[in-house]
Amino acid sequence: MRHCIKCKGCYWVDHTYQPGARFATRCPSNVWNDFDSYGAFGKMRIGLAVDEKRIEWTPSLLEIIYADPLCGACDVGCKRNLDLEIELTLEALRVKAVQDGKGPLPVHKKIAKNIDTTHNLYGAPHEGRKKWVTNDIQVAKKADLLYFVGCTASYQSKEIAQATAKILNGSQTPFMLMPDEWCCGNTLQSVGMLDEARALAKRNIEMVKSAGAKTVLLSCAEGYRMWKVEYPKLLNIATADLGFDVVHLIEFVDDAFKKGTIKPTKPVDMRLTYHDSCSISRLADPWKPWSGERGWMGTVSPRLQRRRGTHGLYAQPRNVITSIPGVKFVEMIRTRENAFCCGAGRGTKEAFPDLATSSAKHRLEEVKEIGAEALVSACPWCKANFAQAVKENGDNVKVMDFSELVLASMEA
Amino acid sequence: MTIAREAYKALEAIVGPKYLSDDPAICEGYRSGPGGYENGLGYERVMTKIPGAVILPRTTEEVQKIVKICNRYKVPYVPYSTGFYGPRSHCHVENELIVDLKRLNDFEFDEKHWYAVVGTGFIYAQLQQESLNRGGYVVIGGGGAQASVIANLIGDGWSPLSHRIGLPHRRILGTEMVLPDGELLKTGSLAVGDDPFWGDGFGPDLRGLLRGYTGLRGCLGIVTKMAVKVLPFQPEKLQPTGIAPNTALALPEKRVKWINYVMPSKAAQVKAMYEIGKAEIGGAVTKVPLFWRAIAKAEDKEEFWELWGKENAETVKNFHIVRVLLIGFTSEEQMVYDENVLNDIMQELGAQPRRTKPSDESWIKNADSAGMWLMCGSYVSVDYVIETLKQATEHGEVYAELKKKYTPPLMPDYGDPGWFQSFELGYQGYSEFLIYWDQDEDTTGVDHFYLETAKMNIKHGFYTALIGPHQPMYLTGPKYGPNYHEWMLKIKDEFDPLWVCHPPVPLAHDEFVERAPWMHQLKDWKTPKEFPMPKWK
Repeated sequence: MRHCIKCKGCYWVDHTYQPGARFATRCPSNVWNDFDSYGAFGKMRIGLAVDEKRIEWTPSLLEIIYADPLCGACDVGCKRNLDLEIELTLEALRVKAVQDGKGPLPVHKKIAKNIDTTHNLYGAPHEGRKKWVTNDIQVAKKADLLYFVGCTASYQSKEIAQATAKILNGSQTPFMLMPDEWCCGNTLQSVGMLDEARALAKRNIEMVKSAGAKTVLLSCAEGYRMWKVEYPKLLNIATADLGFDVVHLIEFVDDAFKKGTIKPTKPVDMRLTYHDSCSISRLADPWKPWSGERGWMGTVSPRLQRRRGTHGLYAQPRNVITSIPGVKFVEMIRTRENAFCCGAGRGTKEAFPDLATSSAKHRLEEVKEIGAEALVSACPWCKANFAQAVKENGDNVKVMDFSELVLASMEA
Repeated sequence: MTIAREAYKALEAIVGPKYLSDDPAICEGYRSGPGGYENGLGYERVMTKIPGAVILPRTTEEVQKIVKICNRYKVPYVPYSTGFYGPRSHCHVENELIVDLKRLNDFEFDEKHWYAVVGTGFIYAQLQQESLNRGGYVVIGGGGAQASVIANLIGDGWSPLSHRIGLPHRRILGTEMVLPDGELLKTGSLAVGDDPFWGDGFGPDLRGLLRGYTGLRGCLGIVTKMAVKVLPFQPEKLQPTGIAPNTALALPEKRVKWINYVMPSKAAQVKAMYEIGKAEIGGAVTKVPLFWRAIAKAEDKEEFWELWGKENAETVKNFHIVRVLLIGFTSEEQMVYDENVLNDIMQELGAQPRRTKPSDESWIKNADSAGMWLMCGSYVSVDYVIETLKQATEHGEVYAELKKKYTPPLMPDYGDPGWFQSFELGYQGYSEFLIYWDQDEDTTGVDHFYLETAKMNIKHGFYTALIGPHQPMYLTGPKYGPNYHEWMLKIKDEFDPLWVCHPPVPLAHDEFVERAPWMHQLKDWKTPKEFPMPKWK
């Protein structure tokens, strides 16, 4: 926090990719509210004030800390030059709010209660979790691959779970579900409730191990980040030491297209674009615990391998989409690590729906600018948020999940 | 509430409650330090405050109204564009208002006359891309691609591209400026009409009021709009490549190319700059500090120190590099001609070309100033000089000599004389001396070095850029004037009799020396019993 220089690399699109007068920024929080305090550079200063007890917890301070999808744009922006740990600091501020008994926000507490009682964030009946499984989907009792569906695809966006399962079936890859799937804990971890998130991490990992799965597959970006990054972080282990692989459907399909186990033969005649969801792109670098000391001129020992967002799934979705016959793929103006977050994730949509909606509408301006007919993402949160914004705007843009697009390209 | 209730209400009536706040959490976000340009030093610790309130106007008219309210209620205020310029662009007194200008981000481009009109919130990277889209370009100042075009052109505005493009004041065209009392001043052709196409106006050139050698850092009003000259570049696209942190512009090699040459001596290095200028070739010609090369090569801070730790005074003394950017402005044939001329010059001087990547990481679009913090965590450019190439290239050596006494706490650079280059095809030379330190160490030596450089410049007769607003004016004024300080104060009194605009600038460094006990031992110049300005806390 002490080394932020206000270069605002966290706010602007990487200057090399800077598109000009329009679409120049990548911080949903600071676009929603123009005061510096809503940018990471302001929050670093506020964080110091909190740490040094120079500032009181107030509703406005809590808003600054929580009105933020923690999308990681600031983190990769900072690591372009400075290598400061912005994302971890923003997360730590929320943990501090919880520790001080001031956070999270009431709506987050309600979600936590839902998760505690019904094991899903919506408070829907737990016994309905597998209702998305239709008769035409084959689920194995035992398989190397375990599909972790997540709350949103289980209850709200069932079409994503169904499309994912059908893709797996179509590729002749047996998959199993958790005998008793619970929430991944994304919202809990995101709002600073680490003890509760850690308990879920332990439980879910144990379930995978006892099921004997070698790979956990996710169709939700937030779930992917939880399993690949946050679970190891919460348990102070490396991603590589989880004992199983974590893959997103995107990686599975990319691989399957290359191997020929899935053949996209059915044309999808559409001019479409792809939105890089934060949790499978700049936030997706694997976790590795580190402890050490600060030395002369701020060097650290042992040497730290920084997580700079370079291991995100950038090429894979584009490989897949451009392999589908009929698709006219057009890139957005801000792509990959510079993508503008939809604004829904990590507790934001629930607590600040206007931030989430305005961010999605801001992104849709870009979709319209490039003249795309459809917007594809690989996260149920992104899909739901964009779909709502399209409906409110009355836009003529089709919002699709990656799984639906791939399924549409496969022969029945 | 820290600003008088009546004043706050009046300000709120201008912008609405959404764009004005005195909430402690909002104000805390506008703290200058502890990190950043010149931050962490005594000046920042002693002289900066968090604001009493922050206001975000959208238009020039709103800025005028705000300033008039500030005058009416004697509310000190400071204009703020991006906040990157460290303590000098932040509040210096209690209960001060920050006028955050980021919402003044309008952009227009005059396709016929090739100029852009920008607001204060518009940054260089945006302007450069808009210019490139039209086959033009501008200089992205050393302050970085994230700097406000207006703020940087007022105070700085140069880079290696200044070899061809030239000095910043030549590119400032019609400008709108809200004077410290709220009156609107229009300069250049804007003074007589709506078209800002021309920089000169009737009577004295008011660009002097705007910036002089460098600007007065926000103490003479607020620039809200500026027309900036855009110059022809070449038509090929510069393609962005890579994922951060390894992003670069792929260059169309037949039209744009960097070449690095290792020269046999310092004399040859300087001679090369003269000759390249004389031949009127090249888009940029520069010698940068050697450790910048290590920054470019290193994956992280730790690797930087591994690489830089292998150097010593001998290796640095004997390594002379010249970077040349060739641009085929008119055609590929022109580029071939320029390269042939360059090769002739360099061959004659015994230079060896180095393998150079066909890409641009810094200067054309991404002036990578933020990278300056990688090695040590803290950085400031102590001063700049624009002189003849001969004098400019000697300037850095004098700094390097003085710096030895203050290393540590300053970063060891083994006598590197800093950055120098040609301006305006060699008609002028530029030198900038940059220093780095660890802000978690005792920084007294850095504070001392900063002030000692003013005395050193006086001794050696270097007329540098920051002797006015960045050093004690009662030290520098009598030596450079002999009444330079009085002239500056008279201008301040004339335009801002209440001193509400960013007090106590331009006497801020004088004030700092008085307030910081560890600076007193260096004070060997005379000052009045009381500084001629209103008292501010």
